[in-house]
Amino acid sequence: MAENKNYKSTQVFGDYLIMLIAPFALSFIYYGSSAVYVTAASIATAVICDAAASAVLRKRFRLKNLDSIFTGAAIAMMMPAGIALYVPVIAAAFAVLVAKVPFGGGINAPFVPAAAGFAFSCVCFKEKIFDYSFVTGAKFLGSSSIASMLAKGNSVHLNSGDLIDILCGNSAGPMGTGCILILAGCCAYLFVKRRKALLSTLGFVGVCAAFAFLFPRVNASGLTSVILELSSGSLMFAAVFFMTDFSTMPQGSLFGILYGAVGGLICMLMRLSGAYEEPICFAVLLANAFARLLEYVPVRKGGDRK
Amino acid sequence: MSEKIPSAKEVLIKGSFIHNPILIQCAGLCPVVAAAASLKNAALLAAAVSITTLITCIIASALLKKVQRWIRMGIYLIIGISIICPVLFLLETRSEAELPLVMKIYLPLIAVNSVTAVHCEQFSVRNPVKLAFYDSVAVSIGSSAVLLICGAIREIIGYSSIAGHELKLHATIRGAALPFGCFIILGFLAAILKWISAYRYPSLVPDSEAIVRTKPKKEDGEGTVEVDVFDEFWNESSKTDLAADEYDELFDSLDNIFDFNGGEDEK
Repeated sequence: MAENKNYKSTQVFGDYLIMLIAPFALSFIYYGSSAVYVTAASIATAVICDAAASAVLRKRFRLKNLDSIFTGAAIAMMMPAGIALYVPVIAAAFAVLVAKVPFGGGINAPFVPAAAGFAFSCVCFKEKIFDYSFVTGAKFLGSSSIASMLAKGNSVHLNSGDLIDILCGNSAGPMGTGCILILAGCCAYLFVKRRKALLSTLGFVGVCAAFAFLFPRVNASGLTSVILELSSGSLMFAAVFFMTDFSTMPQGSLFGILYGAVGGLICMLMRLSGAYEEPICFAVLLANAFARLLEYVPVRKGGDRK
Repeated sequence: MSEKIPSAKEVLIKGSFIHNPILIQCAGLCPVVAAAASLKNAALLAAAVSITTLITCIIASALLKKVQRWIRMGIYLIIGISIICPVLFLLETRSEAELPLVMKIYLPLIAVNSVTAVHCEQFSVRNPVKLAFYDSVAVSIGSSAVLLICGAIREIIGYSSIAGHELKLHATIRGAALPFGCFIILGFLAAILKWISAYRYPSLVPDSEAIVRTKPKKEDGEGTVEVDVFDEFWNESSKTDLAADEYDELFDSLDNIFDFNGGEDEK
């Protein structure tokens, strides 16, 4: 049975890691060796902390579970290139030692460890996390991110070149979360592997898009607002990688959609009036807490919940 | 049937360590989390908590045993205020350094500290003055230690300084100085304290066997042999760290709900 469980854990996080290859490759293309350093530091810290905690707790450390590697890699993808290496190191250490290990490991964690780690680094290193001045080559908006532009509420008119830049992630922002096309490919992969998990992504993106269309933060058309909101920051990345997290997603199709919708609503409300340029990880953590409440919802016999 | 009177040592160990008022009983968390973000603030709070607890517990044990419970609570409050108000007045008028705003808010609240009320009600009014004194000393030591450790850690990590002296650390983690950081630090301190107390005083801690790995002796034919009976426990826990049933259920539901094979398997 243990082997079977290991296989499944490896499979789930292995799928995520396969999906992360494309964003990592793109970040390497855009930012060069800096992306490799940040990713390596984050993954190494997550693995070392997990191994050390397992040794202290006298549990067997299994690298092939891949959860700590995924945690480190996901944190790195949300970091800006050129960030001081201690920031992803501290974020990964926090994710593993505070958000994962005390709750009994990757699949038992009530919160997405990578989201917790990134949220912690947002609080502790706000200036560094949202500093996208490390720019290589010409980018849409230069060294200013789409999220900061949305927060300022400027007037925007997109031409076809800008649109291609935005969709390809060629704008200042987190290293590996900006390319909508690659994240759409990740969704396709997830659709093949774990279709049901995409329901929460659907609910999340749907509510975010509807909110952006109805309440645009920039002086532009509804469609432009939707494109900018979905492509800014780590929104789509979180929708694909965090909202589909195995341990935190509630069971049942309806609950999956509801969970995603609540996450999306919280995210957009925090974007509208929050203190941070990119509050997505706080929204994910709040949605994780909300998912626990869904366990208390009574469902008629034969319904979603057993 | 008379109850066994605990020894002074037992009262001190239990009050300060095993039933630590802040880490284990979770009493008086508000000033720790909100105000003890530096060593100086923590020391001030520790002094206030200690003085209030000592005096109130002794008065409760000596004078309030026959007073009704609902009246006693009010008396604790009055005693706390009558101690804190003069101290605060002296600090504000005689002290050269001005109190930080956060201390002006939370120091008066020590008068209604739940640590004092809990120990007065649970221990002092049921025991002689001598034991109540020991208990209040233990509580003061326990809560002061936590306040000082927590304040020092938060100041070092959060502000890169200790007692106002700069340490020049490479990175400061601002979150440690915030309330959520304090809750995390308290959680880890509680886990460490629980482990140490279960290891050091296994007879006084319930479930100590499950918390710490010990080596009890087992009789065999040729004398006593040290046997690691908790190896089994740790091995078992390592085997069950993954929620197998949840995994299976979710995968089953995946297959059932989104069956894109059109139920061919069932046929």
